[in-house]
Amino acid sequence: MTASVTRVTVTELCEREGVSHTILVTLVEHEIARPIAGTGTDDWVFDATGAQWVYKAVRLHRDLELDWVAVSMLVDLLRQREQLDRENRLLKQRLARFLAQD
Amino acid sequence: MEFKDYYEILGVAPDAETSDIKAAYRRLARKYHPDLNPGEEAEANFKEVAEAWEVLKDDTRRAEYDELRRYGGQRRQEFEPPPGWQSSARPDFQHVSGDFSDFFNSIFGGAFREEEVARDFGFRGQDVEIEMPVFLEETIHDSVKPVHFEIPVFEGGQARPLRKSLRVTVPAGVTDGERIRVKGQGGPGQGKGPAGDLYLHIRLVPHPLFDVEGHNLLVTVPIAPWEAALGVKVTVPTLSGKISLTVAPGSQSGQKLRVKGKGLAGKTGQGDLYAVLKVVMPRTATPEVRALWESLAEKTDFDPRANWGNRS
Repeated sequence: MTASVTRVTVTELCEREGVSHTILVTLVEHEIARPIAGTGTDDWVFDATGAQWVYKAVRLHRDLELDWVAVSMLVDLLRQREQLDRENRLLKQRLARFLAQD
Repeated sequence: MEFKDYYEILGVAPDAETSDIKAAYRRLARKYHPDLNPGEEAEANFKEVAEAWEVLKDDTRRAEYDELRRYGGQRRQEFEPPPGWQSSARPDFQHVSGDFSDFFNSIFGGAFREEEVARDFGFRGQDVEIEMPVFLEETIHDSVKPVHFEIPVFEGGQARPLRKSLRVTVPAGVTDGERIRVKGQGGPGQGKGPAGDLYLHIRLVPHPLFDVEGHNLLVTVPIAPWEAALGVKVTVPTLSGKISLTVAPGSQSGQKLRVKGKGLAGKTGQGDLYAVLKVVMPRTATPEVRALWESLAEKTDFDPRANWGNRS
C-alpha cells in the first residue's frame, strides 16, 4: 500500500517547478501560496491543494508572461470560480431533491 | 513525421517581426492555456502554440527553422531532418523533457542530447493529477482505494504509455475539491532526477440520500401535511445507521432539524446532520379525504399569501 499525504514541504514545492526560494517568498507575499504551518520561510508547510495553485501560478507567470500581481488576481478569481462551481453543483443537487415529486 | 508550420500555428506571416509573433503567441496562449481552459483539446492546442513560440522567439532557432522550412516544408507528411543535422541553438533544460513534439525534438532536442543531459543532470518525473471519486461513507474513516492510471513516458524522444496500478490511503475527513499527494508515484525521473508525484483530486460522489455542506450532511425528510400539523416521530437514515427524530407540531416545509455529530468527519471535529422537512401532498384523494380537506378549508382563516399585502 502507498501512503498518501496532504502536505508539501517548502523544499519539495520549490523543487517541483524549479521555483527558487525567493520566488516562493514572493508567492506567499502575494497570497498565492498560503503556508499552513511553519514559523520561518525554511520550514513552511503547504497543503496539497494549495500546492496545486502554486504550480498553476508558476505556469501562468511563465507561459503568459504575467507579473505576480496579475497572477495573484487571476489565481484568486480561479479559486473563487472553482469554489462557486462546487457550491452551484451542490445547491442544484439539493434543489432538485426538494423540487422532485416523491 | 509531419512538418509543423509554426507560422501557420501562430497565424503570422513568415516575415513577421518578433514583436508581432509575441503578440500572436500571447493572444493564443491566453485562449488555450490549460489552467484557464479545462479540456484536452485546449491543452493540445496550447502545447502547439507554446512550441511554435519557443522556436520563433529565439533568433538562432528561428533561422535554423526557416532553413529547414525551405528545405523540407513542402513535403508535409514525410519530413525528416537532413542527414547529420545538428542544431546549434542551446537546448532549453527546462523543456527538454516530454513537452514538445517529435518534430521539435528531432530538430532542437535530439534523442542523444536529451539522454546525455538526463544522465548528467537528471529530470524530475512528471506530476500526474487525476480525479478520484470518493463515496461519502468512505470519508468517515481512512479508506484504502485502488487507483489505475496511465502516464506517458518519454524515451529517446518517443512517448509510450505506462500503466500504473496502486492502492492509496484516502484520509478520513477529505472534502470535495481537495488534493491528496502520493509521493513518487507520478512519472519516473530521468537520469538522476526523482520521480514525480501523483495528485488525487477528490470528487465526492453524489449520494442517493445525503447532500453535503462543508462537513455537515443534509437529508430531505418527506412528511405528510397532517404530520407537519400534528407532529410525528420519523425514522431518519444517517451514514451510521438509523435514528428516530421528533418533528414538532406546526413544522414548516424547508425547516431544518439538527442532529449533532452525525455529519462527516472533519479536521476540526465531527460535522452535524440536518434533516430538512419537505411537506408532500398525496397525489390522489378519495371523495372522503377530499371532503375532509374541504371542511378544513372552511374552518380555517389561514392566508399563506398574507405578506404579499396589496401587491398581489
